[in-house]
Amino acid sequence: MAKRQVDLLQGTLDLLVLKSLALRPLHGLGVSNRIAQITKGTFQVKPGSLFPALHRMEEAGWLDSSWGESENNRRAKYYRLTAAGRRQFDAETQDWQRISLAITSALKAT
Amino acid sequence: MPLIPRLTRLWRNLFHKDRVDRECSEEIQAYLEMVTEAKLRQGLSPQEARRNALLELGGVEQVEERVREIRMGRFIETAWRDIRLGVRTLVHSPIFTIVTVLSLALGIGANTAIFGVVNGLLLRPLPYPEAEQIVHVWHTPPQQSFPGLDRFSVSPANYLDWKAQSTVFEQIAVYTDTSLSLSTSNDPLPLIGGVVSSDFFSVLRSSAMQGRTFTPDDEQPGHDQVVVISHKLWQRAFGANPNIIGQALTLNSRSFTVVGIMPPGFEFPREAELWVPLAWDDKERQTRSIHDYLVLARLKKNVSVKQAQAEMSTISSRLEQQYPQENSGWGAVVIPLRDDLVGDIRLALLVLFCAVAFVLLIACTNVANLMLARGANRQKEMAVRIALGAGRARLIRQLLTESVLLAVTGGLLGLLLAIWGSRMLVRLGSLPNSGDIGIDIWALGFTLLVSFGAGIIIGIVPALQFTRTSISETLKQGSGRTGGSPIKQHTRKALVISEVALSLVLLIGAGLMIRSFWKLQNVDPGFDTRNALTMSVVLNWIRYSEPHQQLAFLDRATEQIRAVPGVVSVGVTTTVPLTGGGSTQPFSIEGRPVGTIAEQPMAQTRYITPDYFRAIGIPLRQGRFFSDQDRDNSVPVIIISEAMARRFWPGENPIGKRLTPSFHKEQGTREIVGVVGDVKARGLDSDSSTMMYLPFKQSPRPFMSFVVRTSSNPESLIQPVTKAIYSIDKEQALTNVETMDQVLTKSLSGRRFNMTLLLTFAGVALLLAAVGVYGVMNYTVTLRRRELGIRMALGAAKMDVLRLVLSQGLTLTLIGVGAGLISAYALTRLMASLLYGVTATDYLTFGSVSAVLILVGLAASYVPARRATKVNPTIALRAE
Repeated sequence: MAKRQVDLLQGTLDLLVLKSLALRPLHGLGVSNRIAQITKGTFQVKPGSLFPALHRMEEAGWLDSSWGESENNRRAKYYRLTAAGRRQFDAETQDWQRISLAITSALKAT
Repeated sequence: MPLIPRLTRLWRNLFHKDRVDRECSEEIQAYLEMVTEAKLRQGLSPQEARRNALLELGGVEQVEERVREIRMGRFIETAWRDIRLGVRTLVHSPIFTIVTVLSLALGIGANTAIFGVVNGLLLRPLPYPEAEQIVHVWHTPPQQSFPGLDRFSVSPANYLDWKAQSTVFEQIAVYTDTSLSLSTSNDPLPLIGGVVSSDFFSVLRSSAMQGRTFTPDDEQPGHDQVVVISHKLWQRAFGANPNIIGQALTLNSRSFTVVGIMPPGFEFPREAELWVPLAWDDKERQTRSIHDYLVLARLKKNVSVKQAQAEMSTISSRLEQQYPQENSGWGAVVIPLRDDLVGDIRLALLVLFCAVAFVLLIACTNVANLMLARGANRQKEMAVRIALGAGRARLIRQLLTESVLLAVTGGLLGLLLAIWGSRMLVRLGSLPNSGDIGIDIWALGFTLLVSFGAGIIIGIVPALQFTRTSISETLKQGSGRTGGSPIKQHTRKALVISEVALSLVLLIGAGLMIRSFWKLQNVDPGFDTRNALTMSVVLNWIRYSEPHQQLAFLDRATEQIRAVPGVVSVGVTTTVPLTGGGSTQPFSIEGRPVGTIAEQPMAQTRYITPDYFRAIGIPLRQGRFFSDQDRDNSVPVIIISEAMARRFWPGENPIGKRLTPSFHKEQGTREIVGVVGDVKARGLDSDSSTMMYLPFKQSPRPFMSFVVRTSSNPESLIQPVTKAIYSIDKEQALTNVETMDQVLTKSLSGRRFNMTLLLTFAGVALLLAAVGVYGVMNYTVTLRRRELGIRMALGAAKMDVLRLVLSQGLTLTLIGVGAGLISAYALTRLMASLLYGVTATDYLTFGSVSAVLILVGLAASYVPARRATKVNPTIALRAE
């Protein structure tokens, strides 16, 4: 199962990261925990995938980052959605819903 | 993301890399610590918590590397880093680098030089606007009279009909070239001039730089004393005088007014330095059976060569029906100007281009092999880097950067070689349009492209090899073993085999050319080239328009030359053998049916003085030479060549038979008084021509070539002999002043050019292949030291070891030779038309070249084999 998880992540990681940041800014571990939480533990994002994704999305202009204090008074880098990131999130959400609807109905077809 | 933030980001990534990296590692560190804290809270011990957190992270280095990989500007940064790393690696092994760069420089330089020629001659458009629309229109002669000739010059009347009837051409012009003498204060200057109709310049879309070109008025006889000069002549003969337009100059003792100067580089027909109008009188305009002119035309837009050809064929067959007497069998062919100018050179150049590409391939193979040989160290380096988190693609990229770096350095050095080489090429092979040959921006681009290609070729095999090995295997191995896995040995052997095969193909190509050249050099030209001198003169229209004037010049010149000390005999002909020119005419034999002119057999015709055969050394076979008694008022006589005698009077005695050359019908039939040996008129590789010799004095011509036999070195007589002729008329320039040996050499220059180049390339290829075999065998011996040591410890004699290694080298060579023979068999037939006297699959060449290559392969394996016999069993075994 572990292998399949990784495969799934390739396409959906961006969307999940955007979703997890939609509510409020988070640091890396926060994003990873939030994803685990909102997917009820289906996705455990490993740092080896998470950090490249965060940096890539930051360079694409969807995320913004700043250093701040963590809940345990530790310096951590916080990510937040930019306006472009929010637009991207909306677009990807719509895409995803269309696709998942289509695939679900395709699988139900007899 | 808008552009500015993007650029800021790129800037930061490239130039504040340290800070970016530090922040990244700080971020990951924080992550790690937060996870550890979480584990602590779950009740793990501090050590366990940290260990679990690290395991979950999967290595700080690896994560950082993966983040780095997605960064903007990553590509540039990596390339730059790889280049620096590459330079450092290469500087650390200077011998390897020098050998590699030099062999690549040779290979790439040779390619660039040949590309310069190919580009200048075959690829680059001619220097006229929309040059692809310009064509030559030739006659195709009747095949029964001119077997093998596919194009023939055009007669005035036919040209005028073509011009009147054709619709496919925007303009159509007619021209010819001629030798002219320009009078100067010193000796007259011999020049090539174009005699052109007024449309000539507009077909080429070229106009004068100063003044004007010709108008239809200039074509009227009597109004044609105007001349357009080339930029080159303007500079060299008139000191670039800005007021030259309107001034008079004396050409062939006749005064011409300069009306225009052409821009620099305009040189058409070849080597022409001035142009005069072509003015036909009424009689000439009706001449249909004397073919003297070339037809140049510009196709209308959207008219293809094929369409033009179709129309010209229709017109010609109409003219055949209209004038069956003169025109039956004469067709027309439309040839794009470039194809026509480049002609026979195309094939030779393509063969050379293939050859030189082979050399580069071999050089690349060798370098790839060298890189593989360095493999052991590199492989460990790679294994360490893979262990440290580098991806395979990343490493392959680094290795390719290194090899491209080598190749581009080699290429730049090669460019210098090519600049020198293309000058050599122009000098060595009298090539047309030599001004267009050289290293330009295209050649530069070509060099870079080839260098990159070569870099990839030499890098890809080693790169794939080095990065394939399993990390633990390589790291575990001690430093004692030179880790050559069996797979890698296979690759190296395959490379050497292909090297041997490629060089065999080249060697066979060169071998065939050499055999052709030897055969040609042993061909008897039919006369004696030693101690003979020749020079030509084209008499001008003013002082020498009358036959008696032409004869007077001939007599006086002969007399003057004969008086020069050291001259043995002097003869005159209209065209010297081996030069390829000369006229051909139909004839009829008395007592045999006389058909139309078009149906009559043809023979080459020369007009000679009685001493000509003695002076040039053509032997008499039967009958007699001409004598001074064969004059205009005596019985018309003729001498024929053996080939002509054999063809038309087989088994008969031709002496006393009679025939009529059609251009001299008014003089009646001529009696054959002698048969002389055959000569090679068009070149050593042509068939012996059927040849008719007529006494010059019975039909004088306004042009003549002197042949002077000397008692000693002919070159020392050039000066006094030319002086003797100028003493008669100092407005009459001499052309083609050469010894007959030079004429012979010149007739072979194209072949010598091809042969020399191909031989050079093949030699380089052979050398490279030998180095390749040596390298692989040497390496094999190193790898097998232990095995050889055991063999010797178990009692193998030195001879056995020698045989073992040699047979391995021999096997490699033999497989290569086998593959090479098959490829050569397929490829050499493409060059069949460049050969003479040998077939493209000549067994002797194939056999002897293979033998040479096998010997070289053996010699190259002998040194490593000797080394193998010197292996000391105890040391070899202990070394493990």
